[in-house]
Amino acid sequence: MKPSLSIIFFTVSSGAGLGLLALLALGDLLDHALPSDALMQGIAVALALVAAGLASSVLHLAKPANAWRAFSRFRTSWLSREAVFAACLFPVALAYGALAWTAEDGVLRALAALGVALLAWAVLVSTAMIYASLKPIRQWYSAWTPVNYLLLGHWSGAVLLLGLARLHSAHERSFGWLAGGLGVAALIAKIGQWRAITAGARDAPTLERAIGVPEYPNEYANKHANKYANQGARPPGMTVARARLFDVGHSHGTFLTDEFGFVLARRNAVALRIAALSAGFAVPAAWIASGAANAPLAWLAAIVCLAGLLAERWLFFAEAQHTVRLYHGAPRT
Amino acid sequence: MRLGLVIDLDTCVGCHACATACKEWNASSPVSGPLSDYEPFGAEPSGVWFNRVRHYELGEYPASKTINFPISCMHCEDADCVTVCPTGASYKRDDGIVLVDQDKCMGCNLCAWACPYGARELDTASGTMKKCTLCVDRINDELLPPEERQPACVLACPTHARFFGDFDDPASEVSRLTAERGGFGLMPELGYAPVNQYLPPREPKTVIGANDVKALLERGLASLASPVIRR
Repeated sequence: MKPSLSIIFFTVSSGAGLGLLALLALGDLLDHALPSDALMQGIAVALALVAAGLASSVLHLAKPANAWRAFSRFRTSWLSREAVFAACLFPVALAYGALAWTAEDGVLRALAALGVALLAWAVLVSTAMIYASLKPIRQWYSAWTPVNYLLLGHWSGAVLLLGLARLHSAHERSFGWLAGGLGVAALIAKIGQWRAITAGARDAPTLERAIGVPEYPNEYANKHANKYANQGARPPGMTVARARLFDVGHSHGTFLTDEFGFVLARRNAVALRIAALSAGFAVPAAWIASGAANAPLAWLAAIVCLAGLLAERWLFFAEAQHTVRLYHGAPRT
Repeated sequence: MRLGLVIDLDTCVGCHACATACKEWNASSPVSGPLSDYEPFGAEPSGVWFNRVRHYELGEYPASKTINFPISCMHCEDADCVTVCPTGASYKRDDGIVLVDQDKCMGCNLCAWACPYGARELDTASGTMKKCTLCVDRINDELLPPEERQPACVLACPTHARFFGDFDDPASEVSRLTAERGGFGLMPELGYAPVNQYLPPREPKTVIGANDVKALLERGLASLASPVIRR
């Protein structure tokens, strides 16, 4: 898939904002973990990240004038659900911020906090399910996708939250452990997804399957495809044989080659994975362990973490292979 | 009603007449508007097509065969392109035809991602998704003579490799051909239940088979070699 920068930025920025919102609200609900001013700052940063992400996502649309219609198919479309939940999140989060500002401490604030957390999760899951429900892309059509979106959002949110907690000297140790735990969980989820993608290559759809050529009966026949084809053991119609693209039929690029034709060089994939792991996980982990409580380092850790996740999300798109590629001659996805 | 196409891979010669006729008819379609071309007279012409013909080779020479493969919208029974659409622009009619309401589409590409066949293409000039309409503006047009109420691609095919009809009617030509010739849909394992069916190449009437060629060659080589060996 073509790595679309607007969507990559959207999912990383919104993911961090939503994770931060959910953690802020939960911390407040359980234990008023942050003082009011820190909570307000957190909500502001989180909403800014979510808003920046949503604004970026509009850039992906070819006809943004019709974007308002995206609220209309809540019952079937995860993209519509994402839009509806995101639109609900803002007023609830602003109301929650107002309640925190007035230092109101009662059922209303608790309900608002709960609402913010639930809506933040709803948006995160909806975003992930947009990708996880696409059957033609085996790298995405997996439970690893929502698990990753949830954990990576909360991990980057927790890094931001810890920065806030350290600047306000509020429960630094607890938030440090929280961030560390989420970091480990997110790392496991990310590596698990990468491993699942590699393992899934064994059963990946092939060009032969895409055009209806019967499967080879076994590995032996696979190795001796041509010999097998000549032995007369052919199901009616399509010959059991290797298929290859003879001619693609168009002289220059099309929407399909532009959108789905992107191929990532294996060497670049390794470099990007290392970049994603070191910037997305190692650097923020070192900052967490250091216990540094100054603002510039906190900002730096958060920004490096988000940059690492941008590399991770870029890979998420670049490594996804749509079945349309088979019709354009890819032997498998 | 379950309208769709049958495409005969045995008789298709890969001439692209269906794709060209489609482009010609639908360029002024009232259903999906113009099909934009980008740099049509430039160095790298490109544009929106509903139907694309690709060519594959099965096996290795000399025991190989060429399959010409036109692919357009399959008008799937369980069309994810419709359910993922957030705006309601993608919809499926009662007769089974999947269409895009050009006034509602916001060009998010999600339906194109959900389609395994590459049947949907974004028109960057209009900012909306375009796809095969099964020529709804022909098949329902009572001003046309009845025999012309068929998709442009079907009418244009010079080898009569394309058939249009209702798969829900067991007596229709498309149902009959599918049953008789072992028609198949593409990638049924994805669960989209594509309506369009492809007829596999017929078993060739063996004039001379690959094994015969081999035997003849061996015999021929032996007879060539035999005088040498005997001497």
